[in-house]
Amino acid sequence: MSVPVVDDAFAPPSTGWRRVSTSLATARRLVAVTVFGVVAVLVVVLVVLVAPAWAALLAAVLAGAVLAWLWWLIGRQVAAIGYAERADDLLVTHGILFRQLVVVPYGRMQLVDVAAGPLDRRFGIARVQLHTAAATTDAVIAGLPAAEAARLRDQLAALGEARSAGL
Amino acid sequence: MTTATAPRRVHPLSPVAHAGQALAPLLAGVVLAGQGIPFVGRILLVLLALALVAFFGWLSWLRTSFWFDADGDLRVSTGILFRNERRVQLSRLQAVEVHRPFVARMVGLADVRPEVAGGERAKVRIAFLAEADAHALRNELLARSAGIRGDAQEAPVAPERALVRVPGGDLALSMVMNESLIVAILVGGVVVLGALVSGESASLLGLFLAGGIPSVGLLSGFLTFYDFTVAESPDGLRIRSGLLSTRSQTVPPGRVQAVRIDQPLLWRGKGWVRITVNVAGAGGSDDNDAGAILLPVAPYAVARDLLQRVLPGVNLDAVPVHGVPSAARWRAPLQHRRLAAGSDADVFVARSGWLVRRTVVVPHARAQSVRVTQGPWQRRLRLATVHLDSTPGRITPMAAHRDALDARALAEEQLVLARAARRSFRPEHWMTQPPDPGGSPP
Repeated sequence: MSVPVVDDAFAPPSTGWRRVSTSLATARRLVAVTVFGVVAVLVVVLVVLVAPAWAALLAAVLAGAVLAWLWWLIGRQVAAIGYAERADDLLVTHGILFRQLVVVPYGRMQLVDVAAGPLDRRFGIARVQLHTAAATTDAVIAGLPAAEAARLRDQLAALGEARSAGL
Repeated sequence: MTTATAPRRVHPLSPVAHAGQALAPLLAGVVLAGQGIPFVGRILLVLLALALVAFFGWLSWLRTSFWFDADGDLRVSTGILFRNERRVQLSRLQAVEVHRPFVARMVGLADVRPEVAGGERAKVRIAFLAEADAHALRNELLARSAGIRGDAQEAPVAPERALVRVPGGDLALSMVMNESLIVAILVGGVVVLGALVSGESASLLGLFLAGGIPSVGLLSGFLTFYDFTVAESPDGLRIRSGLLSTRSQTVPPGRVQAVRIDQPLLWRGKGWVRITVNVAGAGGSDDNDAGAILLPVAPYAVARDLLQRVLPGVNLDAVPVHGVPSAARWRAPLQHRRLAAGSDADVFVARSGWLVRRTVVVPHARAQSVRVTQGPWQRRLRLATVHLDSTPGRITPMAAHRDALDARALAEEQLVLARAARRSFRPEHWMTQPPDPGGSPP
């Protein structure tokens, strides 16, 4: 029972991080492009109506730049999500600018949620959320392949049952 | 397994107590909204409303019953049109509160609130019972929760011993010595002065702001915490307080999830502190201040001794804590000198605060999950914050702005300690278990 040695606050455990499906990035990009694209087209049309052509061109270039940035950002965000099952607890990490690492002991889990919206199902992914008695436990793993989500849920439920320790 | 008990009714005078609680807001409403109505009309209006409240109270009395089911858990059935039956799993009981609102107290009634983890939706209130019955029910709930089963109606009354009693003078003085109150008085004073200089009309409002709002807060705090007593019994801690409405809360052993000791700036001279606790299901997000206060004001030595009763074997002063690197001054310029955290075999301790000095204590056995977070500014300074997640309440334990590497090591250490503590700590059915060797002293 020793405390693991680490060389970085967010260093992966010895088994390394398991990453989530890149389908999550695709799904999120689809949503971002749709929402932002509609807004951008509206803005560009509006600018065309009231301003000279070069302003509209500028608006279009700006919108394109923002879209490219969103595209890149979503990719990085999804790549930053990781989880790892250790002997006694589950580690979940996410975030680039605001980084977070949450460790949930199996004996502390109250319930495990698996959710998949219509878009998630289209891409064959699901999100798994762990709940403890604390509301601040922020352990969500989005973008798990459906089979992996089911496996993780069953695994966590079994481990939680075996180590349950009241509140 | 025992057999279910027969359903019991609440006290027939309950509608009166419910109506009595509605009286004050009704009167205020009629006085404020009924400007055009003659005096007799207003009185009739109030009487009519009271009769309505009492009528629905009577209907709800008819439909309210409670009993213990075959598993020994409490069932409460309520609802006039929509029937609602709640099951309170007593192995999960976190605390029991016996509350006596002023009007109910006048007619000798009290309500019983068993508190289980699960937030607002899980709140159960049995209102109202005769005082003796309320106490008997409380004892029965605690006894069943402690693992003493059986059909015995008469649960053993746990003998109790007073630990702390807050003198009324100290309470009054501590409430006056409050930064926000003094700021409010100063702001109000400025407003009054301005009004006096410029003209008459606004000065009434200023006086109201200066005196009215703070004194209402002061008075309600004083009424709530008057005669605050903490006693110890085998059932757990008994916390009693109140002048007009009174409450008596029983927190079984091991139910305290986190403790915070605060010392506001103005209390330093007196050496006073306040103790706040997190108990799952009690004093959550609602305005019920009292549920989270273990001790409204006391000298530090008294508070430390009380803490030893709440968390047996914990000597707060002996827990080694370590400060934060000097880089933290760029992130927390005011409190970085105070920031410190550490742990021993039993508890995690974190100190913080600038004007109000705070010390948070979390027993390892009660920590939920552990988080390490780092914002962009913290990253530049090579800092990170460690959070120990506790049940919802006033206290959010964290060790802020640690050295980044130290933070991860601290987090991993807490996990190891918590695992060891959980293995040896089982608060359910506390009376049927062998006593804890490090338990409460004689």
